[in-house]
Amino acid sequence: MAGTVVGEGLSIEGDLSSDEEVVVHGNVRGKLTTTDQVSIASGGVVQADVSGATVSIAGQVTGDVTASERVDLQTGGRLVGDVKAARFTIADGASFKGNVDMEM
Amino acid sequence: MAAVSLIGRGTVVRGNVRGDGSLEIQGRVEGDVTVTGDVVLGEEAVVRGSITGAQLNIAGTVQGDLRGTESLLVERGARVVGDLTSPRIGVAPGALVRGNVRTDGEAPLATPVARRPGLAAQPHRSAAPAARPAPVAAPKLEPVKAAPPPPPPPPPKPDEPDEPDADEMESEPPSAPAAKAPPPVVPALGKHAKAKKKRRDG
Amino acid sequence: MVRHSTELSVLGAGSKVTGRVSGEGSLRIEGSVRGDVQLSGDAEIASGGSVEGNVQANALEIAGSLQGDVNAHGPIAIRSGAVVRGELKGSEVSIEPGSRISVRLETEIELDLGGGSGGPKRR
Repeated sequence: MAGTVVGEGLSIEGDLSSDEEVVVHGNVRGKLTTTDQVSIASGGVVQADVSGATVSIAGQVTGDVTASERVDLQTGGRLVGDVKAARFTIADGASFKGNVDMEM
Repeated sequence: MAAVSLIGRGTVVRGNVRGDGSLEIQGRVEGDVTVTGDVVLGEEAVVRGSITGAQLNIAGTVQGDLRGTESLLVERGARVVGDLTSPRIGVAPGALVRGNVRTDGEAPLATPVARRPGLAAQPHRSAAPAARPAPVAAPKLEPVKAAPPPPPPPPPKPDEPDEPDADEMESEPPSAPAAKAPPPVVPALGKHAKAKKKRRDG
Repeated sequence: MVRHSTELSVLGAGSKVTGRVSGEGSLRIEGSVRGDVQLSGDAEIASGGSVEGNVQANALEIAGSLQGDVNAHGPIAIRSGAVVRGELKGSEVSIEPGSRISVRLETEIELDLGGGSGGPKRR
């Protein structure tokens, strides 16, 4: 069960930091940081740097994404920003613009 | 049905939260929360900022104003410093609240019944509650003095309600708009005038 | 709830007092009082009762109407149907939905705004 859910229609302007799972269906503008999983659902719009253990993007993210484990850009997802993660996948139908650093 | 959001126990939001739908806060928000739906604030949750929603149910700690457009319930265990405004307010025994609590929104406080001198509620006596990061506009219990909309028939000057001049601190008579009679100057009326004047002193 | 000590006075529904009401013991006000009320015991403003003046008492229960400030040693309970306006100070203030109020609560309270465990402090 998600620790934090930003529902559709909800907007957060500022920093969101957490030690639990975060799911975004709405808007986050600022900064999003968790030590757990981040999911940007297909309706989610994030204008923020995102940092988590794993980051899964099916919505829109404008900002740098850092994950301690992996970043997955799903079909329909759009990411503009740099990615820093050990593993990074871009599904067919996703769009991405940015740099990737897969430090080992 | 609009979505329900959750700010979990391990989450801190530094910034404002707004939008449609309802919201449950178990973590911490440093900023204002403004939603069209309901807000539930858990016992361990802390909000430094105002909370505005339809039905509010507050069991945690708030430093800021609470406004429920439909209802506002403060449960035992809640600790609130800020103003509470809602047409329907409940504060359970065991809850601690400091601030103005109003069910009538921005009602004018100059009620038809004259306030007696003994009655306090002077504006300056109520020391302002702890500073709140984002005071919600308006419903402050600055009693007696000019509430934003003055009572129904406002006299020429909006900030001089009729009754409470008895207990106003202003030493100068609040009434006496300049347009009114200037200080009486006895015109030279002839002999009678002097005589009258003397009598008046006597 | 007003304790029925041996010294319970009642101002009945038809009564009107203009002036100060003070004393030991408790008082139930069913009529109207225009003036300050000062008791060492509990005070109750019954539904239909009204006080325009300041109230000093141990515990206070308001089901009627109060316009004035309250300084209570004990708890203040505002019942549904009450109409209250003024500044209230008590060990605790409870408010039932359905009341019409425009009050200022001067409860002593310290907020514990630090994150984490431990309940907020009180006083």
